[in-house]
Amino acid sequence: MWETLIIQPMTTLLLWIYNILGHGPHTFGLAIILFTIVVRLITWPLNASQVKGAQAMQELQNDKDWQEIQKKYAKDKEKLAQEQMRIYQEKGINPFASCLPTLIQFPIIIGLYQSISRAMAASPLDMLKLARTVSVYPFLNFENLIPLNSKFLWMDLGRPESIAIFGFALPTLALIVAATTYVQSKLTMPTSTNPNDQSAQMSSMMSIYMPLMLGWFALNFASGISVYFITSNLLGIIQYAATGRANWSNLLPGGNKNLPAKSAKK
Amino acid sequence: MNMKKISLISLLVLGVFVLSACSSRTAVNTWPGLAADSARAYLANGSEIYAIDLKTGKEAWHYPESADAKHVYFATPVLTEDGQLLIGSEGTNHAFVSINVETGKENWSEPFLGAQGKWVAPPLVFNDTIYAPNTDGFVYVLDLQGKSVADPIDIGGSLWSAPSTDGKLLYIASLDHHLHIIDPATNTTVGEPVDLGGAAPSSPVVTADGAYVGSFTSNIQFIKPNGNHDTVAEAANWVWGTPALDGDTLYYADLDGNVFSFDTASGNQNWTEIKPDGPIVASPLVVGDQIYVATEAGTFFALDKDAKIAWEKDPGGDAANIYTTPVASGDLILVAPYKGDSLLAAYDAAGKQAWTFTPEK
Repeated sequence: MWETLIIQPMTTLLLWIYNILGHGPHTFGLAIILFTIVVRLITWPLNASQVKGAQAMQELQNDKDWQEIQKKYAKDKEKLAQEQMRIYQEKGINPFASCLPTLIQFPIIIGLYQSISRAMAASPLDMLKLARTVSVYPFLNFENLIPLNSKFLWMDLGRPESIAIFGFALPTLALIVAATTYVQSKLTMPTSTNPNDQSAQMSSMMSIYMPLMLGWFALNFASGISVYFITSNLLGIIQYAATGRANWSNLLPGGNKNLPAKSAKK
Repeated sequence: MNMKKISLISLLVLGVFVLSACSSRTAVNTWPGLAADSARAYLANGSEIYAIDLKTGKEAWHYPESADAKHVYFATPVLTEDGQLLIGSEGTNHAFVSINVETGKENWSEPFLGAQGKWVAPPLVFNDTIYAPNTDGFVYVLDLQGKSVADPIDIGGSLWSAPSTDGKLLYIASLDHHLHIIDPATNTTVGEPVDLGGAAPSSPVVTADGAYVGSFTSNIQFIKPNGNHDTVAEAANWVWGTPALDGDTLYYADLDGNVFSFDTASGNQNWTEIKPDGPIVASPLVVGDQIYVATEAGTFFALDKDAKIAWEKDPGGDAANIYTTPVASGDLILVAPYKGDSLLAAYDAAGKQAWTFTPEK
């Protein structure tokens, strides 16, 4: 099911883009970038819905009624939950609106990742899996494309990347992945006037853990995956900035201190 | 720590596991490599190489003594006349190792300065020289003591198969869609690379007149030493394994599961529609009057030369696949299942199982 619905179509799309680009040197890297853009465009409504939902939840954290019930029913979790549901209904907020699109996108992101790995076919067994994938659509004649040309700029997309500087292997891509992930998470981090805002605290933790985790992946795994991470992060930043909600002040030291949420002005 | 923080950290840990599981850098991600001499079978399986006594089916030795990330073997081991077992590692230092076949001790190990890729291809030993193809596109040239004796030969593409030789020239197939011919006297390529139209993952089979090679273009091509080439036989899907030549008859198989018998003298197929039970990656093996074929479905077949099935076995159990080319030694035919109940099984020509090998834990 997963193979048929996610991996095969995505890998085929990736190979199709690679073929359209001429399947020469550097084209697989470009294909990954275009492929990521196409998938991000398809999932744009989901992302927009997620941003909107997160923003609504964020605004709720600054709502007086909301803050009052937090204090009033701090020791009565059941009553607090009832009151929270009442406020959700009154304000027409779906508390799952921000996380549901993320859950729906999760398989797509994993599929994207697996498709890139599949297309690179680094071992004989991986190549055999790729053979299965391309044989599903024999009319596309992808056999002639294999193996893909994994050279992109200075990188071999099938291997972890580093640049030797004064005898030291600097993992450039891993650093860029970590940096773009940090910027994206900081920009999308909610601002809060409420010092007890748990969602803001969680976002703050995420902005530390995610760059480290993705940077670690980029350090150890094929650099084709890093190209995907960077493209995806940059598109996320652009998309968020396009909504006018990007909080650029978060990038500065101490920039997340009690600033009003921009969209609260409306 | 509140529930939300616990949930968040749990999600991150889950994410690490999910992404790790689907990464392209899985520790062991290929099938076993198998070789044999008259006394032992040598099986490269993941992080270990096992020597198995052919009489008893018991382990004679294994290398290394304890598995680690430096040792991950994708390639088939190769025996030399002076008692070495040669194999390259996919492990962290890309070492190319020589092991004493009697003791299992390491003779030498080259970290291979300059080799950028992993070792999928077995080497060829020719005129006391080791020709070791790497996935970085170079063939490394060593003496039998493991010292470089010439600059690496730049072939291009990813090299997954051993060179073959007619005693004069070396023929090496590349995933770059070409067959390259090397003159071992100068360690340089001869003429232009021969365009096969698709990637060639396995070694050519060489005759006095030239070489037969299969590829992802789903056919067999014949290449003359001067580079002239023709498609001589067709297949229904990719031809992965090296064809087996027996007299004038060329046996080969494809990923659709077809087994072909091609008469190179007349240019005609001897059979039609011989399709055992699944895709075939392993090369056919011809011993005496039988052709041995192993399928991805995990079945091991013995066919006679009229394509009649003499017997079939299931050496690895229901969940196993077979991708490794079977090997003959003495009266035994050895077959190594992938993800099977046992790592190696030995049969006689009548299909009677002599033993199976499973390493002690």
